[in-house]
Amino acid sequence: MFLNITTLLIAKIFALIGLGIYVVFALVIVKQVGLMIATIEVGPEFWIKLIAYAHLLFAIFVFVAAIIVL
Amino acid sequence: MPDVFVSETKNIEINPPSGHSKPKNIEKYGLHNHNPLSSYCYYPDEIKFVAKDSKEKIILFLRRHPITNVGWILVSILMVLAPMVLDRFPIIAFLPENFQFIAVLGWYLITIAYTFESFLDWFFSVYVITDERIFDVDFVNLIYREISEANIDQIQDVTVAMGGVVRTIFNYGDILLQTASEVPRIEFEAVPHPDQVAKILRGLRVEEEQEKIEGRVR
Repeated sequence: MFLNITTLLIAKIFALIGLGIYVVFALVIVKQVGLMIATIEVGPEFWIKLIAYAHLLFAIFVFVAAIIVL
Repeated sequence: MPDVFVSETKNIEINPPSGHSKPKNIEKYGLHNHNPLSSYCYYPDEIKFVAKDSKEKIILFLRRHPITNVGWILVSILMVLAPMVLDRFPIIAFLPENFQFIAVLGWYLITIAYTFESFLDWFFSVYVITDERIFDVDFVNLIYREISEANIDQIQDVTVAMGGVVRTIFNYGDILLQTASEVPRIEFEAVPHPDQVAKILRGLRVEEEQEKIEGRVR
């Protein structure tokens, strides 16, 4: 096999660290969207919040999937 | 005595009114709308802006022209299609299948983040002109935003900059405002109908000066 077990383990750790940082980033998006909506209300705030939360859930899902699958 | 000359009654096209006295039939000018994704709304009804005073009225709500979004929309489409195209050129085929699966999911996460942030940048970077002040809300990135404001009577110079083929076709441009406030320069980037915006600002400045003379300053 081209990649041995140790290399894959290191790759897994890096992938999990990256995805963990991404979950934090998704949380920042949710927070920032909330702040902007508090600053200015135009109309479709509900949908923007929904997308921000859906993105956060997707990020958590990928993180958990990476823990299970890798 | 008979009339020497009687002129015909003509339908004369009136320009959008300037100043902050709300015209009765603003729908007629096609500039007032209820679309939350609109880039130009004259006397918006449904916009709530936290920085304005309760007595202040929003005269004009602006954001960048929708055509400025074409770049990031095209990049987003390419990013969505990239994994399907790369199926034919397997550059991550050396990885085990589980790693490939997570790599594709990660790619789509990045795509969503890029698309959503580009949309938020456009949606929340707005320019608000009230009857007293102008606001420039910049959503620079997810961790940095900036809100600049200046009083209407502090505007010293309004410059409309409009050049290039696309800007001429779609009628949008930049408006540079020199002010006497702490923020010496406020820029409205790529806003639709820049000439009308400049005209409305001129009307508001005249009205502010009139208010000062009459002692009606709030």
